Amino acid sequence: MSKATSIRDAVSARLPRRHRAERRFQAYGLAAIVMAVIFLAFLVGSIIIQSVPAFTAHRLTLPVMLTEDLVDPRGDRSEASLRRGSYNSAMQAALREQFPGIESRTELRELFGLYSAINSARLLSQVVEDPDLVGQTIEFEFPISDDADLYLKGQTVDERREAGRAPITLTVDGETVTLRGDEPVFAVFSDRLRQAMTQRAEADEAEAARLIATLDRIIDRDEREVTDAQIERAQRRAERLRLQLADASGLQLGPRDPSLLVRAGETVIAIRSISSDGQTAQGEILLPAGLGPRRVSDWVLWEIETPAATRLITDRQIVFTRTLRDRGLVRNGFNTLLFVNADSREPELAGVRGAFVGSILTMVVTMLLAVPIGVGAAIYLEEFAPKNPVTAFIEVNINNLAAVPSIVFGLLGLAVYINIFGLPRSTPLVGGMVLAIMTLPTVIISSRAALKAVPPSIREAALGVGASKTQAVFHHVLPLALPGMLTGSIIGLAQALGETAPLLMIGMVAFVADPPFFGLSGFTEPATVMPVQIFIWSTSAERAFEARTAAAILVLLTLMIVFNAVAIYLRRRYERRW
Amino acid sequence: MQITVIVALALLVLTAIGFLVGRRRATRVASGQPSALHSLPSYYGYYIAIWTGLPALTLLFAYGSFGSSLVNILTMGELEREAAPLIRAYEADLSESPDYQTLNEALGQIETEIEATRNALEQARQARGPVDGYQRDLGELTLDRNDVSDAIENLREQIAFAVAARAPDSVAGHRARAGFEYWRARPDRRDLFIADARAIAFQEGFPSRVTPTLNAAGAAMVPWESLFRWSFAGAALALAVGGLTWARGQVSAGFRARNRVEGVISIVLFATSVIAILTTLGIVLSLVFESIRFFAAIEWRIHEFLFGLQWSPQIGIRADQVGQTGAFGAVPLFAGTALITVIAMCVAVPVGLFSAIYLSEYASPKFRSVAKPVLEILAGVPTVVYGFFALLTVGPFLREFAIFLGYEDAVTQSALSAGLVMGVMIIPFVSSLSDDVINAVPQSLRDGAYAMGATKSEAVRQVVLPAALPGIVGAILLAVSRAIGETMIVVMAAGPGANLTANPLESVTTITVQIVMLITGDQEFSSAKTLSAFALALVLFTLTLLLNIVALRVVERFRERYE
Amino acid sequence: MADIEFLDTSSEPRGDTLYHPVTVGYETKVATQGVSVRYGEKVALKDVTMDIPSRAVTACIGPSGCGKSTFLRAINRMNDTIDNAQVSGSVLIDGEEVNDRSVDPVVLRARVGMVFQKPNPFPKTIYENVAYGPKIHGLAGDRDQLDGIVETSLKKAGLWDEVADRLTHPGTSLSGGQQQRLVIARAIAVNPEVILMDEPCSALDPIATARIEELIDELRENYTLIIVTHSMAQAARVSQMTAFFHLGALVEYGPTEEIFTNPRDQRTQDYITGRFG
Repeated sequence: MSKATSIRDAVSARLPRRHRAERRFQAYGLAAIVMAVIFLAFLVGSIIIQSVPAFTAHRLTLPVMLTEDLVDPRGDRSEASLRRGSYNSAMQAALREQFPGIESRTELRELFGLYSAINSARLLSQVVEDPDLVGQTIEFEFPISDDADLYLKGQTVDERREAGRAPITLTVDGETVTLRGDEPVFAVFSDRLRQAMTQRAEADEAEAARLIATLDRIIDRDEREVTDAQIERAQRRAERLRLQLADASGLQLGPRDPSLLVRAGETVIAIRSISSDGQTAQGEILLPAGLGPRRVSDWVLWEIETPAATRLITDRQIVFTRTLRDRGLVRNGFNTLLFVNADSREPELAGVRGAFVGSILTMVVTMLLAVPIGVGAAIYLEEFAPKNPVTAFIEVNINNLAAVPSIVFGLLGLAVYINIFGLPRSTPLVGGMVLAIMTLPTVIISSRAALKAVPPSIREAALGVGASKTQAVFHHVLPLALPGMLTGSIIGLAQALGETAPLLMIGMVAFVADPPFFGLSGFTEPATVMPVQIFIWSTSAERAFEARTAAAILVLLTLMIVFNAVAIYLRRRYERRW
Repeated sequence: MQITVIVALALLVLTAIGFLVGRRRATRVASGQPSALHSLPSYYGYYIAIWTGLPALTLLFAYGSFGSSLVNILTMGELEREAAPLIRAYEADLSESPDYQTLNEALGQIETEIEATRNALEQARQARGPVDGYQRDLGELTLDRNDVSDAIENLREQIAFAVAARAPDSVAGHRARAGFEYWRARPDRRDLFIADARAIAFQEGFPSRVTPTLNAAGAAMVPWESLFRWSFAGAALALAVGGLTWARGQVSAGFRARNRVEGVISIVLFATSVIAILTTLGIVLSLVFESIRFFAAIEWRIHEFLFGLQWSPQIGIRADQVGQTGAFGAVPLFAGTALITVIAMCVAVPVGLFSAIYLSEYASPKFRSVAKPVLEILAGVPTVVYGFFALLTVGPFLREFAIFLGYEDAVTQSALSAGLVMGVMIIPFVSSLSDDVINAVPQSLRDGAYAMGATKSEAVRQVVLPAALPGIVGAILLAVSRAIGETMIVVMAAGPGANLTANPLESVTTITVQIVMLITGDQEFSSAKTLSAFALALVLFTLTLLLNIVALRVVERFRERYE
Repeated sequence: MADIEFLDTSSEPRGDTLYHPVTVGYETKVATQGVSVRYGEKVALKDVTMDIPSRAVTACIGPSGCGKSTFLRAINRMNDTIDNAQVSGSVLIDGEEVNDRSVDPVVLRARVGMVFQKPNPFPKTIYENVAYGPKIHGLAGDRDQLDGIVETSLKKAGLWDEVADRLTHPGTSLSGGQQQRLVIARAIAVNPEVILMDEPCSALDPIATARIEELIDELRENYTLIIVTHSMAQAARVSQMTAFFHLGALVEYGPTEEIFTNPRDQRTQDYITGRFG
């Protein structure tokens, strides 16, 4: 065998392995990109899914009687008098009309919790605009509270309803109602509940046992205290459940258990205890609607699986909400308030308009400062600057500024603009100035790249026919570099549009309930911007803000896509290759 | 409309007129022979327009920036002078009040005791003796001092009230009372006083309250304000007209108008590029200055700030509180920042680097044209969106997963979720920088490898990557600097608790999170708590600056080698 | 015009340069005295002294990097645009010092037009390309005058017939040779006295080259032309005077025929006969 063939054999022997390595390597690369793409899809997808509930809202329409003694205390239809009227009372009266049997204060408080009193301001302005409405009954539409809205969307409460299996007899004795079925109609529910309670008790006991086992290993005093408390809680929970289960008289239902309602006609009864045979139950009336027949065969067993203790809407409010919807007074529709309102403490009234206007005002300031200064600096450095230490220093400076964390610019704004120059806090003016210095390096660097891309022959040609340096730059180089400069500036502005941290430093987290005035004075009034609004909402406790945050993110992303699309269009349209 | 706006508009009109005048004048001088002129006629126009507009507008801008503070100073000076009798009466009453003297003596005594106790405490501490007793004494003394100070303040208030009541109920009396109130006010109250007075006098926003003294102060501002407003307006207009006339006189055929105008242009352009330096200077000065104030507030225990293990700035709200010592140890923040950065890099570096390799060496142009924009979109998503995602999706998911795996103490705001999401944010950063670097490696190196029968991956791994290594290291350093400075993701996803731990499933805090907490929480600017944010920012700035300088140096070296 | 002794014929060379006697009478348009140019540490041109005749074509030849382009740029002070260039010596046009502080390079460049190696029309219309110079120098009072200047310039550059009906097309849409003639028209439009051409045909095909050479010959009647060329044939065809540069120095200078038929310096001879280049 010759030497050449042996080498060839050696090479081919290794070849499959090398090819496998090749394919593996390539797969890693592809996997990396696929991971990035999947992540992006996951990010955008989850935000879109989360945002869906925010785009619709349930609204309540009620016939509101604008009686004169409520809304026009002086009775002269003057604006001053109308402004002193109690419109919320008119709305409350309209709501009470729907539920005549509701009398006690706690019940009424729950009823009026279905909407926020701020809505009456809109009723007021409607009446002030048209005083003839006094004395009339108008159909007034307003958003229902966020908790009721989320309930209707099925987001916070799990429930199931089934028709009663056999007729029941109702006996009313003061507050309590006794329900006796012809058959053990409640047995299915109580069995299921007992089972669940047993499981929970067992889990709690296991948890306590596990924690007790770890106790020996804990030396730290604080940690020991924490663990002790955990053990105690678990034990107490288990104990309570065991007691509940051991009760021979029947099953008592508390706020930590699912709620069981019985609905007959419009009357709704909340069950408080079920006899052990599952045939009799005792409860209280949630919604009285003329307790007519003592014996009902057409009734509904309504189980609200989410315990009252873990939801923000009460049993009675659920009953109110559902009754109003069954009467056709609550309708679902597109949530326009999200786009026309400014921020609000009530999620159902909160909108992005204030932040949107604030963002635009801030961007105007940023643009007016960053673009001319950035382009000017780029022209100077690229076309005019002599090669000397000062120029070199400026260049190093700009490169380093580009890498300074954005939050530091916020602190600069706080220390210099607000504390030294005394500019007003929380305003688009200061926000825009901070973002401008943050964006400046981006604008300068991209503008210089655009200037560099213009070939020197153009400059020579202009100089050759006797143009001065300034003329050569402004007549020939600048027009050619302009699209590139604009693209860079827009991309810089889009970055600034999404920036949050520096604005937190200058107090743009302030709660601003009115959208800023879209004009000159708007620049010096407190405002917030889209990303900060997103931050504020995302840290809010109300569950309803979660979807609204996602919706606000979509608005912001849309805005940024528009910015970037303009930049890409400009680049495609005017890009010139040399 | 405001007079300044009108004047500004008038100046713009004058500037335009100046331009036209200059151009006409030049044509006239040339007597129909444009080539006789040194410059084009329009340059004479620009020249005159610059002289008309620039000085006058500068003056107007100066008025706009400093005019109102000038008015405030003058008005309040005037009112304080008018309040001189009240001030004298107040001081006389104070010095005559026996209570006041007693209280002041008591205060002095307590201060001396505090000083003595503090010294004793310090000595005991150095001698490593028991310090509890001293600390308890110090606490009690401080409380005593606060009581006495409050009493003094109350007494002053009473006397001031009595003195002010003696002023007549006339305009002059209100003015004097206004000056007196202002004279007695603390600096921040003074600002509020002026803001309210201005709000009443000039409808600048809404006053927080309306009192006779505020009304008087507001009224006193009006004459000064209008004097300045009109004189500055007049001066600006006069300057404009003067500039126009003077510049017009200069126009002659040989006058080098173009060179003058171009000179102004290049000065303006130079000024714009100096702003970059001013910004850096502003950052450095403000950070250093406020940090010095912070270190002064914690009695120059810089080593404790840099190496202390305990971070709980809340304790330091009351500057004289006992036990404040040791609250500003920033090591947990540095460790938290490092932990999250390491996690982020574990995601970003492999994914970013492999993406870059695939895109530059393997991908078809078509694939590249799809994949690159996707990566760019990842770079363009605002960080607050990543934060939201980490908080609501990744955090809970990781927690559930950890509990599923048997780690019961998992929390939603963990270092891992913040680090993972931050890593994703940085992927495009790493990939585009590495892409540049890989593309800068000359084709001849690859050709050399292929010519010897290397497969593509062998060429990449054994030739291209080693050649690009310095550039890639630079890129990673830049990415690290970005991760350290990133704020919103960690604010939302990492949590505020300063735990010193290396467990990625626990909650840690970072430098940037603390800066946000400190600045957005407390409004009082000069407390040690707020100032500590600047010291943290100084650390952050220095760190990122160093990383950046090193990274740029490394990348530059790499480029020089192949260009 | 009186016959003027152009340069001393008999005596020893000035500096290291060999000067040939000139028999035809010329007026001196451009006179350089000891011009040296340094780019930082590097000396690109050293001590060049030569008188350039009016209304004639002077060709500068020599191997790459010999300083001929630098010499050209010294005449209209284009070296000012290079940051670290230092020019010493004097350049006189009609006896006026070009490097004088009081001379505005802008005005100078209006008098001394320049055509570059690669055609570099502005990315604007043909019309605007030619009209730009007159506009910035204020040479036309109104639109009609400007139209006239554009037309004349394009005619002089021999391009009018080809572009008369598409003046609004972009200058970059023309072919290479047309672009170069457009650039020449642009230079002529400001009515310069001297036109510098830096290898004007190096980027063109032979037919376009012939066209430009013809044009150069025509322009000789009204302008002083100084042309840098790599092609000895071209120098021989179009120029009246030839200067041979080598390593930054002017080696030999004289009437073209003399230089080509009777080079005195060995290096000149080697270059012309193609031994190096």
